[in-house]
Amino acid sequence: MMKRIAKHLPHYLSLAGILIAGVVGFLVFSYERAFQIAVAIGLALAYVAWGIIHHAIHRDLYLSVVVEYIVVASLGLVVILSLIFRA
Amino acid sequence: MPKKLDKVINRAIHLFLPWHTNNQKARLIHPQIIILFVIKLIVLQVGLQFIPASGLKILGYAANISPDEVIRITNEQRVSVGLLPLEANPTLAQAAQAKGADMLNNNYWAHVSPDGTQPWSFFVNAGYSYRYAGENLARDFTNPASAVEAWMASPTHKDNLLSANYRDIGIAVIEGDLDGVDTTIIVQFFGTKYTDTVPSVPIAEAQPASTEAPQFSPSPAPVAATFPSPSPESSLVAVQTPIAEAGPIGGRVLISPFSTTKGVSLVVVGLLLNVLVFDGLITRRRRIARIGGRTFAHLSFLGMVLAIVLILKAGQVI
Repeated sequence: MMKRIAKHLPHYLSLAGILIAGVVGFLVFSYERAFQIAVAIGLALAYVAWGIIHHAIHRDLYLSVVVEYIVVASLGLVVILSLIFRA
Repeated sequence: MPKKLDKVINRAIHLFLPWHTNNQKARLIHPQIIILFVIKLIVLQVGLQFIPASGLKILGYAANISPDEVIRITNEQRVSVGLLPLEANPTLAQAAQAKGADMLNNNYWAHVSPDGTQPWSFFVNAGYSYRYAGENLARDFTNPASAVEAWMASPTHKDNLLSANYRDIGIAVIEGDLDGVDTTIIVQFFGTKYTDTVPSVPIAEAQPASTEAPQFSPSPAPVAATFPSPSPESSLVAVQTPIAEAGPIGGRVLISPFSTTKGVSLVVVGLLLNVLVFDGLITRRRRIARIGGRTFAHLSFLGMVLAIVLILKAGQVI
């Protein structure tokens, strides 16, 4: 169990870093629409990249997996962008 | 068990839990279904965009903002950094009112009007001969504290708000139709009268008066020692147009684009997060092996999206 956690830890720490940076970015750039849009797009791209790298390292990278990350990232991006443009 | 109920339960299991009918993955988190959510969210935004064009009015951001409160909070910010408070000026408030009315009448949201009219024209037209002039605009805030907070969060607006060059302030809060959406606009005008900065000199030595170019974000300058204290009549100064009562008014739809988007987003993201949690727990317990993204990663990403949805607040400043 510990071995498994140790194996995945660097991956999930990097993911946590990306996601925390996103939340902090929105807190720091509140009311700065251009920065928020840039942060949202950056987050979506970083999430897809993380997914691809993570699965490539674990040797279970398939097209359906990439599509799944792209779709989840797109949902997040659409949700955040709609709110930014409606704010 | 009645057949109909059985069908409903099976359908719910198919949607929410990993089952043999959905390839051991809750149907709601299949990419095809998530894409449908994305498309529906986009359609919702397009719909909200076109409602005003259909002739219906959207009650967008009605707010009851007191100009006096904007002045009070602005002065609190100034005093907290060691600056003197600004004096509420009736002429500046009239100029701000004229600017707000011009934005609504000509349907624009900018410092400069579509016909090229600069904000400073409103100062001059109202009879305020300025040495320094500044303008901050805000819209769609529900209370004055959030508007001032947003100005303080933007370096250029903060420079304006905390400039030692200014002595007077005029606020107008105007509600009206902007791009088909009921909107509350706050116009914040700063200024220093030309006469306040020109020392008395013998007529023979006087130079022709020239008005210094106004600044959106002027650099701080020493404040005159004879800075006037706030007028006790400040409550008479700020101008506010009557705010329409919230409620169904002929032809108005009682929805706010921001609140609707936020509500729908919370429902969609919340639903997917719940399904992911149950799906993750069941696949782990049953040791189901499947090809797909990491449930924990999707949970983390959507959790972050949820946090951002909660952080984002309505309101714009320029």
